[in-house]
Amino acid sequence: MLGEHLTQEQADEYAIGSLEPELERAIALHLAECPACRDIVRDAERLAALLAVSQPVRRASPRLRQRVLTAAGIRKPGPAWRAFTIGRAAAGLAAIIVAAGAFSGMLGLRTQVNALRSQNADLQRQIDEALSQKVALAALTQKLEDQEAVAAELRETLKSDSELFIALISPSSQVAAVVSVDPSRGSIGRLVWDDDQKRVWFVASQLRQLPPGETYQLWVNSGGRYYSLGTFAPDDAGFARYETRLPEGITSYDTAVVTIERAGGSPTREGPAVFFVTDLSRLTRN
Amino acid sequence: MDGNPTPAGIRNIDRAVEFPRPAGAELAGRTEWTDEALMLAILERDQHAFAVLYDRYVDLVYSAAYRILGDAGLAEDTVQDVFVRLWRRPETFIAERGRFISWLMSVTRHRALDELRARGRRWKREGGPLGDPVESAEPVFHPGDPDPSASAELAEERAAVRRALESLPADQRRALELAYFGGLTQQEIAAYLHEPLGTIKTRIRLGMQKLRRGLERHR
Repeated sequence: MLGEHLTQEQADEYAIGSLEPELERAIALHLAECPACRDIVRDAERLAALLAVSQPVRRASPRLRQRVLTAAGIRKPGPAWRAFTIGRAAAGLAAIIVAAGAFSGMLGLRTQVNALRSQNADLQRQIDEALSQKVALAALTQKLEDQEAVAAELRETLKSDSELFIALISPSSQVAAVVSVDPSRGSIGRLVWDDDQKRVWFVASQLRQLPPGETYQLWVNSGGRYYSLGTFAPDDAGFARYETRLPEGITSYDTAVVTIERAGGSPTREGPAVFFVTDLSRLTRN
Repeated sequence: MDGNPTPAGIRNIDRAVEFPRPAGAELAGRTEWTDEALMLAILERDQHAFAVLYDRYVDLVYSAAYRILGDAGLAEDTVQDVFVRLWRRPETFIAERGRFISWLMSVTRHRALDELRARGRRWKREGGPLGDPVESAEPVFHPGDPDPSASAELAEERAAVRRALESLPADQRRALELAYFGGLTQQEIAAYLHEPLGTIKTRIRLGMQKLRRGLERHR
């Protein structure tokens, strides 16, 4: 299995994803703590990426661009971008008019044409300068709106943050790492088990959105039996914080797992596991 | 928007890194920015930086997704997922951990393989990851062609790896492709090809060694 450091062969196998899941998880955990091995894997992953981009290149549909921008929430190009486009078009039109005049052979107009060219260049410079200012202003406005939204969200979560903090510092609580079965993702959150408050918190990030009809469901295994702690869904950013009471009659657990079940949850564990709890012994503080 | 982004804008990055950004850059100047500078601008919600990065890499992302999924519609879905994630969570790219293109291809591969597994099409589909690249009516540009979307360095590295890949024995190339594009483990490859596990491990090891040497010779 693993020595003190990864071999080049192991790094290569990890980078192209050919290892068995158990060994991949072990390597992912090792990489979290070993900068030297991260460097080896980084180079191997670069080679693997080149393997991907060395395939024959296909042109994506031009329509896909607007679809992606819309899905990303960039609903319209924005005034600066439109002005940029219009400005370029206007400048191009002016240039065409000037060129047409020159080709007409009307030498008497040459002075006027040159003047128009000069004006056109000046206008272009002004357009570019205005566009730069508009872009900067749009970015600042967007940044301000983002920060206001973040502040509102922070205020709303402050109260429940305090409750979670109390659980985290409680001497009777247990904190365990939540690890993805996908070894490239490693630890993605924590499970906090608080006997005092009789509550459990599941906090994780990097969760992918599930399609309609499916939900994440949290289970704990105690005495060889799985107990459902309920279902939850991540927010748009893939973050989830789920809180619930301890199941009746359960004072401790052996392990925990998150599965994907049908919408509404399943009475028994049926779907595939996507996250599990590990490092319990290292992180338990009582 | 001019000048380097401030360290405060670099979230989830262990230490502040400054990337060159043309002073007094105009709107169109973003096309000359490095990938990392564009990502920092995206952290600041710069929509135009996102558009430039999309235009720069959409064909590579689409091609990799298509190679894995063998379906234009699914590949487009993957492109959308990858770039929407890039826009919404740019902080997941950590510059110190590798080049942007490595991160982008890794995200693309994982997303496409997730889709492949979810649909259970791995063993059923014609061609695709377990076969040769699928031909279609869509225009295909081979890596030897000039690619204006890629930097000169990346284009040269692609050409070097492509040459190394073409020089590999077919069984070594097949093992690498089944692992990387098919998402198969070594044991799954051995079962699929009816070969001993040790043989598959050797093919993958030798294949990666030769690719690495091919790239080093290029440098």
